[in-house]
Amino acid sequence: MTEQAIEPAATRLSPEEFADRARAIEREVGRVIVGQHALVRQTLIVMLANGHALLEGVPGLGKTLLVRTMAEVLDCAFNRIQFTPDLMPADIVGTNILIEEEGGRQFRFQPGPIFANLVLADEINRATPKTQSALLEAMQEQQVSVARQRYKLDPPFFVLATQNPLEMEGTYPLPEAQLDRFLFKLWVPFPAEEDLIAIMDRTTGAETATVEHVASGADLVAMQRLARSVPIAPHVTAYAVSLLSATHPDNERAPGLVREYVRYGGSPRGAQALVLAGKIGALMDGRYNVAIDDVREVALPALRHRVIRNFEGEAEGITPDAIIRSVLDAVPPPRVD
Amino acid sequence: MTLDPTLSQIRDGLRPFRRRLWLRRVVRDGTFSLAAVMGLELALALAARIVPLEWGRVAAAAIPLLGALALLVDAVRVRPTLGETALALDGEQGLRDRVSSALEIALRSPDLVEAPLAAEDAPTAEGTATEDAATYARFVRLQRRDALSTLRAADRRAFRPRLQRRPAAVTVVLALLLVPALLLPNPQSDVLARRENQRAAAERQAEKLEKAAERLAEGRTAPDPRLDLSAELKKLARELRERPEDLDAQLARLGSLEDALRARIDPANEQRAAALSSLARSVSRLSSGQDSNPGGDPKKANEDLARLGEKIDGMTKAEREALAADLAGLESTARQAGAEAQAALRNASQALGRGDAAGAKDALGRLGDALARGARNVELNRDLARTANDLQDARRQLADAGKPANQGQGQGQGQGQGQGQGQGQGQGQGQGQGQGQGQGQGQGQGQGQGQGQGQGQGQGQGQGSLGGGGSNARFLGSGSSSGGFGGPTAGNKQFSTGDIDKVLADFGRLGKPGDPSYVAGTGGDGQTQQGSGTGQGTPSDAFVPYTGVFQDFYDFAITSLERSTVPLGVKDYVRDYFSSLNP
Repeated sequence: MTEQAIEPAATRLSPEEFADRARAIEREVGRVIVGQHALVRQTLIVMLANGHALLEGVPGLGKTLLVRTMAEVLDCAFNRIQFTPDLMPADIVGTNILIEEEGGRQFRFQPGPIFANLVLADEINRATPKTQSALLEAMQEQQVSVARQRYKLDPPFFVLATQNPLEMEGTYPLPEAQLDRFLFKLWVPFPAEEDLIAIMDRTTGAETATVEHVASGADLVAMQRLARSVPIAPHVTAYAVSLLSATHPDNERAPGLVREYVRYGGSPRGAQALVLAGKIGALMDGRYNVAIDDVREVALPALRHRVIRNFEGEAEGITPDAIIRSVLDAVPPPRVD
Repeated sequence: MTLDPTLSQIRDGLRPFRRRLWLRRVVRDGTFSLAAVMGLELALALAARIVPLEWGRVAAAAIPLLGALALLVDAVRVRPTLGETALALDGEQGLRDRVSSALEIALRSPDLVEAPLAAEDAPTAEGTATEDAATYARFVRLQRRDALSTLRAADRRAFRPRLQRRPAAVTVVLALLLVPALLLPNPQSDVLARRENQRAAAERQAEKLEKAAERLAEGRTAPDPRLDLSAELKKLARELRERPEDLDAQLARLGSLEDALRARIDPANEQRAAALSSLARSVSRLSSGQDSNPGGDPKKANEDLARLGEKIDGMTKAEREALAADLAGLESTARQAGAEAQAALRNASQALGRGDAAGAKDALGRLGDALARGARNVELNRDLARTANDLQDARRQLADAGKPANQGQGQGQGQGQGQGQGQGQGQGQGQGQGQGQGQGQGQGQGQGQGQGQGQGQGQGQGQGSLGGGGSNARFLGSGSSSGGFGGPTAGNKQFSTGDIDKVLADFGRLGKPGDPSYVAGTGGDGQTQQGSGTGQGTPSDAFVPYTGVFQDFYDFAITSLERSTVPLGVKDYVRDYFSSLNP
């Protein structure tokens, strides 16, 4: 098995530049995406953390538009994969095709749509588990293996998947192992009325909003690298771990809702997501240290897909968000009086 | 190791906040401590109202001291560290963990010193470990500078001491409850005072008993019964000292011993003593022909009898017959002195009549011995009687010590009819209303001495000690009198029997079993008032001399006591009452 590595370009950033770039990206995306500031910020955090996001929301809320706009603003290679039940793994990662070359026949790898910086896996839950799992290696290892050959994906590489929570007929819910690969699960809320009015104005007029490139893929890689260098105080890390531990029903700090309705708590990836997203949140706010509030702010998107409810929890309609909120209540920030 | 100057400045900047945080903690814990002290004081005050706590005052004083000591220890314990101060400051002023992060990360990078900005901006190889380390170090320095600037901008009035609402409210409520609990009279105070009195009285009585024991044993040798009595008294004294609070048991022991002593006392001892003296005086006069033994000393009489016996041989028949007649004349006195003396005297007289000089001498010798033995018996009886009186006095003192300090309240109603003249003295308060034949109404209060005569019916109501009327011998009280015997009489006062035979009273008013009960009037502190009233009544046959009926009443009372189940103390009280009236 051989590897084909694609070296990314990298630049050195200062924390102030990081914050400026992040604000510029948010501002530019905001020119197309009306409202949804939290969603845009959290999506950007995912990208700066070199993670993947699962966006969930009813149709028509701009999920696809958000991802497409992100790709345009970041000047990244963008591919969209519409997941359907008949989609095959090879349709995603690519396949070897038989070609005649230099008088002989040989196989040549034809990369699939996964080979892009930003991949939109639209309605990911409509594909079969077999096809969904084709994404696993790409998401975790940032590489794909085809016919005993590994192909490295160019950094930055993000998978932004969407799923529709309403139409469950003929869908294949993502397995827990795959859900865990997503840094955030983002809930796309319905816009407020004033945002809807702005959307109407922008989308039904003659002019179409356009965006400019404000950052490159190399910039993103540099931002990712800088974010990971942010020192975090031990008590903040300990708090993130406490939060994650409290999602486990057998933990002594777990609240009643967790004890009663949770089958499995979050994996260590959840704590990693909390810490990393906290660092990025601090840098985006222009700070050099991670605060406990940074961790608490990202607790919902970082943990909601990692908490596995039991039958009673699902039957009684206990939402993961309610469970995470109870965890936040049960694990308050350490106070010294 | 050189400490980063920025870090040093952060630590220096945190120190004032640490002192303020410390003060806040001390105030907070002080509030809790104060609430605890108040709670304990209140609990103690309430407990002291339910049960007598002899260590209550000590505990009340010790609780605040312990609270202060606990607070002092706690103050040392709660002194915050700089790290705690940083965390608290971040939380209180919303510094988003800037200061605490800088300090905590400094612990991981203590050797990281401030570098000039130019050096931080120097290019490093991209994507290398060196670059990552340099980026990390730069972040640490940036964090420290950020923390320092944030610290300098922080409100210096942070960590203002504040009272915890709940414990403060609890403290106020407890204090409000404590005030009446401390100020209102505590009924247990009387109990404590009584116990103290009991202990003091027990000590005094123990000393008296020991002195009595020493007096009894002085110069005695076995098998003198006074030695046994002395040992018994010492044992009683020891028990009094060891268990002064066990009043009932002590009174019972004293009463039991007293009863035993009184049972042994010859009731006619003084009569016998007088007869012995008279007999000794008479036989001395027969021997010497003059009043040579005016004190009736039995030893002197014995010597005189011996001399008289020696003279018999030299006497004429007429002189012997005269002596026999004189001796016969003393027989009635000798009978009162004792059977032995009487027999010896008679033998001497008869021997003289027969002319038996030797028999007469022998009989006179026996008479002398009988006089000596009689004198010893009299002395023994007197010692026993004195000891019994000492025991009685000790019981009374102990019972008085156990009397409640506060005066009680009592109500009594009585009916009486009679005519008489009396004199009484008492202390107390009383209100009475009487109706006599004719018309009359009176009201008296306080200590009174009155004289009244008349016949009437009266109702009285008064306030008095529990001892009033002598209903309970443990709490001997003093009664009051209003008017003459028409009013309540004093139960426990010392009664004067000077002109007792002049007292005429209707003793029928004392009633019989089944009659309405009579409760004496008021005891305690009161104003002295003298009152006198004169009524007009009809003479009746009920007027009898006091001394003429005393014995009947005494017998009746003693018989009643023995027939009924009456507490020992009450029995004693009745006996005391009659002994004080004994003419």
